[in-house]
Parts: sequence; C-alpha cells; structure tokens
Amino acid sequence: MSMSLRDLFEKDVQELEAEGILFTSLEKLVAWGRSHSLWPATFGLACCAIEMMASTNPRNDLARLGSEVFRASPRQADVLIVAGRLSKKMAPVMRRVYEQMPDPKWVISMGACASSGGMFNNYAIVQNVDSVTPVDIYVPGCPPRPEALIYAVEQLQKKVRGETFDERGEKLPVVEGWKR
Amino acid sequence: MRINVGPQHPSTHGVLRLVVDLDGEQIVSLKPQVGYLHSGFEKTMENRTYQQGVTYSNRMDYLHGFAHDLAYMLAVEKLMDARVPVRAQRIRVILTELNRIASHLVFFGTTMLDMGALTPYFYCMREREGLMDIFELTSGVRMNYGSFRVGGLYRDVPEQFEPMVRTWLEAFPKHMDEYFNLFMGNSIVLARTQGVGVVTREMAIDHALTGPSARASGLALDFRKAAPYSGYEDYVFDVPTHEDGDIYARILVRYEEMIESCRIVSQALDMLEPGPFRDPDRRISLPPRWELEESMEAVIFHFKLVTEGFHPPRGEVYVPTESARGELGYYLISDGGSMPYRVKVRAPSLANLQSLEPSSIGGLFADMVINIASFDPVLGDVDK
Amino acid sequence: MTHHEPNGATRARVLESLTELGGVVSEFKDMISVTLSKSKVIEGLKVCRAEGLEMLTDVMGIDYLTYPGHRGKRFAVVYNVHDVHGGNRLFIRVELDDGEKVPTATGVWRGADFLERETFDMLGIEFDGHPNLRKILTPEDLDGHPHRKDFPLGETPTLFNDGRFIDPAAFRSGLRGDDPGLTDWKGGARDGVTSTQGELPGEGGTQG
Repeated sequence: MSMSLRDLFEKDVQELEAEGILFTSLEKLVAWGRSHSLWPATFGLACCAIEMMASTNPRNDLARLGSEVFRASPRQADVLIVAGRLSKKMAPVMRRVYEQMPDPKWVISMGACASSGGMFNNYAIVQNVDSVTPVDIYVPGCPPRPEALIYAVEQLQKKVRGETFDERGEKLPVVEGWKR
Repeated sequence: MRINVGPQHPSTHGVLRLVVDLDGEQIVSLKPQVGYLHSGFEKTMENRTYQQGVTYSNRMDYLHGFAHDLAYMLAVEKLMDARVPVRAQRIRVILTELNRIASHLVFFGTTMLDMGALTPYFYCMREREGLMDIFELTSGVRMNYGSFRVGGLYRDVPEQFEPMVRTWLEAFPKHMDEYFNLFMGNSIVLARTQGVGVVTREMAIDHALTGPSARASGLALDFRKAAPYSGYEDYVFDVPTHEDGDIYARILVRYEEMIESCRIVSQALDMLEPGPFRDPDRRISLPPRWELEESMEAVIFHFKLVTEGFHPPRGEVYVPTESARGELGYYLISDGGSMPYRVKVRAPSLANLQSLEPSSIGGLFADMVINIASFDPVLGDVDK
Repeated sequence: MTHHEPNGATRARVLESLTELGGVVSEFKDMISVTLSKSKVIEGLKVCRAEGLEMLTDVMGIDYLTYPGHRGKRFAVVYNVHDVHGGNRLFIRVELDDGEKVPTATGVWRGADFLERETFDMLGIEFDGHPNLRKILTPEDLDGHPHRKDFPLGETPTLFNDGRFIDPAAFRSGLRGDDPGLTDWKGGARDGVTSTQGELPGEGGTQG
C-alpha cells in the first residue's frame, strides 16, 4: 500500500489508523475531546426516560460531564441512550435512528428492560437491545437511579479515552475499544 | 402534504407517531399511530399472581404510578373483600396525591419546554426531587414503587415521613405561585394557548375524554367525588373546572389541581392516627415475622401465600378511580385461581388521544405540538 | 361539586328499557351488567345514551376459552357506560362465537373508535361498520391476536452459560382456576362471600 504525504492531510484519522498509522498524542487528544463532550440523542421510551430527565436536573447534573444538550436529531448526536423497554414495533425505528448517527457513536442500554427484556418476558418486547444495535454500556436498574446513569456515562468516557481492558485484564489500544 | 411526526421526536411525549396532512401550515387531518411501546402488560399480568401484579401496574403510567397501584389494589381488595385499615387508606391517599403533584409538575415543565421555555422545566424537576425523597423514604425507590399490598401497605411509614411532607408542603405553594406568575403571565404563552385547541363539552362526552382535560371543557367529572374510594369522602377539596376548553384552560386546571392536592395531603396528615397498616386477615396478608416463630397456622398461611397466592372467588370487578390523566380502572375477572383470568386496564390516555384530531383540525402545525402536550398523554398508558 | 349518589330513578328507567329489548340483568358486588343480543346491542347503547348514561368509557373483550366451567359462547364484548356525574355505571355485554361480528358503536359515540380497534387487535373481534378497523397496538408483522387464550405469551427461556435453561412457565408460582395445586386447598375468601358463577364441583371445601 502506497501512501503519499498528501494522504496524511486529507484522510480521516480513523482511516489512517485502520491502515496502520498511529498518532499517539493526536489520538489521545481527540479521544479526550470526544469523551468530554458526549451529546446524547433523545431516545427515551418509558419510565427510564423520566430518570434520564431527572439526571439532567440541578441535583444530578449530567451536563457537568459534557452532555450539555440532548440533541433531537440523531445526526448531531454521539451517544444513543436507550432508556426504556424497546418493543418489537419500535425496533426498526431504533435501528434507523442508530444508522443515522455519524461515526463514532456509542450506545448505552439503560435499565433492565433495554438490557435483557426486564420483567417483560413476552411477545412484545425485544429481549436485549444488543440484537438491534451493538451496545457499549449496560446499566442495571428498574429504573436506574440518575447516579447510576452518571456512573455509566463516566464509564463510557473511560472507554472512549481508551482506558478499556479485555477479558484477560489486558489493556486494549484505543481503536480496539471503539471497534464493533 | 403528508408529514410523519415520527415516534422518535423531541416533543411527542414518548413514542407517539402522528401522520399529519397539511395544507400549507393548517392541519387537514391528523392520525395518531400508537403501539410503539406496547408491552403486553395485560397478558403478562394474567400470568402472575395478584400480589405480583403490583410490580406491573405502576409501569404503565410511570408518571402517576401510585394511581395505577391504587386502582389495581382497590379492584383486588373488592374481589377479596379485604378491609383496609384507616391509617393505610390515609397514607395511600397522601402518596397518591403527592404523586399527582409530581405528574402535573412534569406536565407543566414539558409543556413549557414545547413552547420553547427551558427554565420552568428545571424548576419543576427540582420540586420533584423533594417529592422523590419522600417516596424513597416510604417505598425505597424514587419511581416505579411497589409498596402497596392487598389490604394496605407493605410497612408503616417511618417517623421522618410527617415532618418531611410538612416541610415540603410549606415550601411548595409559594414556589408554584412564583413560577406560575412568571410563566403563565407571559404574553407569548397567553397568545399561544388561549383559544387554541378548543374541545367543547359535547366533544368531550362524545370522545370519551376524562380527567383534567375534560374538566377544562366544562365536564365536571371527578371520580374522587363521584365514587369516593379509600377515604376521599373525609376530605374537603374542590374540583377545578373551566369552560373554555382551550390549552390555557387545561394548564390552569392542572395548576389548580396541584393546589387542591396540597390541601388533601395536609388534611390527611392531620387526620393520621396510629393503627395497623395492613388487613390482619392472614388469608390475604403475610403474617409478621415474629408470629412465624410462635404459630403453626401462621407458617401455613405464609407458605400458601408465598408459593401460591390467595384465591379470590370467581367473579368480575371494576373500580373507577381518578388518575392525573382521567378515569382509571382495572377490570379483573377471577376464575378462582391465584392468577387473574383477565386483566383489562381502562387506561385514560388512549381514550384521551381521540380528542387530539378534532381539536387540532384547522389549526396550525406549531399549535399541534402544544396541543399534544396539553392532553398529557403518557405512552405507557396508551400502549399498555 | 358535591358527592353524587347513584341516581336510582335513572338506573331503574334504563334497566327497564333494556329489559324490554331482551336484556338479562345480573349484578355482582354492585356492578350491574346487562347482556343483550348482537342485533339489539346498538339500540341498547342508544337507549343508554338517551336516558342519561352519556359517556362510554371502555370497550373490552374477554376470551372465555379456558375459563373453568364456562358453557356459553367463547367471547364477550363489554361496553362500560356511565353518566356525566360518574355515579351511575352500567356494563352492557354481548356474547359472541369465534368469527361472529358485532355492529360498531362508533355511530353512537365517536370515542368508541380507538377502543374498538384495540379490542379487534387484541382479540380478533370484528366490528361491522367501523371506519378504520385495523391494528392499533401490535406491530404490523405480528399475526394473530395476543389476548386470545390460545396465543402463547412468547416467553424466552433463560439460558445459562453452562447450557442449563429455565422454562419460565414451569417456574410460575400462581395457579389457574382449575389447577388443584399441591394440596387442593384454596384458602378461600372472607366469610360469607360467594361467587355468582356457581361453585365448580369439588370447590365446596373452601373455608368461606
């Protein structure tokens, strides 16, 4: 594979990384910036949506972690917080919203219903949001307290910055942590 | 032009999808498409015992969860002929009314948010935090409580309950006065809400509209007065009604209802006497733990209640109650087993949504957004 | 607003008019139901609306397929009507077999629209003359009607890492009406309470 100097300026950082060129300090800077400005897309479905709203109130302020606004348009959002039970009728809609989000994007599955179907083991609810979109962080609870959601966002920030470990406890490089 | 206001939308209050036909900016027809949150509640509740059903009921209308819990418990208690002690009734009323205030606070905040005002939303959520602390004290959770049992409550309220509620009640009306004057006196809000989205009294009767939205159209129907339950006949309170039927009237009715709920709560607190918190009949209630060490019958009752649940006689029952959205009732059919044979929830929001189309036709698209907010639909209630 | 007592005169008048249409009145724990035939039910609802029970709050369907001891038709549709003060309430029942259609109540109340659609979606009961009878709550690709008793709940068994799985139906703690359970003793309700549907053979041993 031949690469000219021009490619270094024109190609995207991720494309270069995929081709094997690593920029350690730049990558860390970009990851730091991304992690501290994760803007969620509004995808509140049911009761967990109210606790997600409560995590933005003055007592548990999610905005101090960088999630300043919840963008209505998925095209301007980084994180999809699936808050609530995902019904099978809603699943294709969620897939479309996920596909509309630009890379890099992450998904937090908030609550027991999104993570595993919760108490709704029936014909109508998707039993794990993982079957519709890949999930980065699962938050247990019914509903999870706002503090739990804030902890989940902090864990996601660590993942974005590359402080992730695989099953054997070894540190993963930054790009591995993002890859699907 | 046909527009789809999709299920994922910042102002549809949940996953409501609307297919709107527009002529310029005016709405020609509006069809709500619901079902994006259908969770099969009723069929799932038919596969759980009566006591386990209380974990499901409050997740339908998650903003006024105690109303669903209360309606379900009243239906089961009617079926079982359980006698709820007075103290439990009063505490249930206090919790339900405080939850009504919390639900109306979310309504107020999100309606203002839809009009573009960001500040009231944060003020209302801050008020709610005080209420969530009270609920956490009694039930252990901030939301989706499971603290009602057939025959009363699962435990008595701790001693900090009364001072906490009184402190909150002292502070709240002054705050609400300030917010209300700040926001509802605003000329933009008045221009956007007065005369818009009118529902006449005949339309309300024809379209099965109940609750604060119907009371704003002149239909004075409140099941706390019409068919009092759980001790509501002991309290002195008014039911605010307005004649205009526009969005402003619907907001005003809910604001005044919050003040009336505060009245009910303070009266109930004054009338609270020490006593049992649960029906002592062992066929319905679990015996207290100390009794299990002393009595063999208690162990047997405990065993039967935990492994099977109680068996109501065959029959059907319906108890109408008033939730923050309208008439709420659980229709239970028992076949003699410990699981209900048929559970049907008369959920107010699905019937209320039918008034959306007639009140929006001829109006502007921007007005439709606040119109949806003013009917206060909760999609968990609509889709069950 | 004062507490409205159920108006005895209105109730008596309505019940008389409905009995003239062939309605059979039954009562259980102060819930009054009137069973009408399929051909008379819309007329009965119009009578209710004219005589003061002006609001229809609910339309619900019931599937009696697995109801122990049920000998009538499979389905019932119940209309829940009450007056504008909320005091008088009446339940109008229609009994249907599988495949039988019932005329729509949207001509009497426009608010029956979504409620009848929900009953159609959940139980498959068709309403003749409904302007827009299609699914309302379930997804388009779901075939069948979920609240029917022969439609499975659709539970996913819990799978553990070592290959065991738990079938939720086997772990159910509650009992159905005809299931004797471990001991065939049902505990019973409070003294003196009986059911109007009669006792099942062998049920006489309840403590009452």
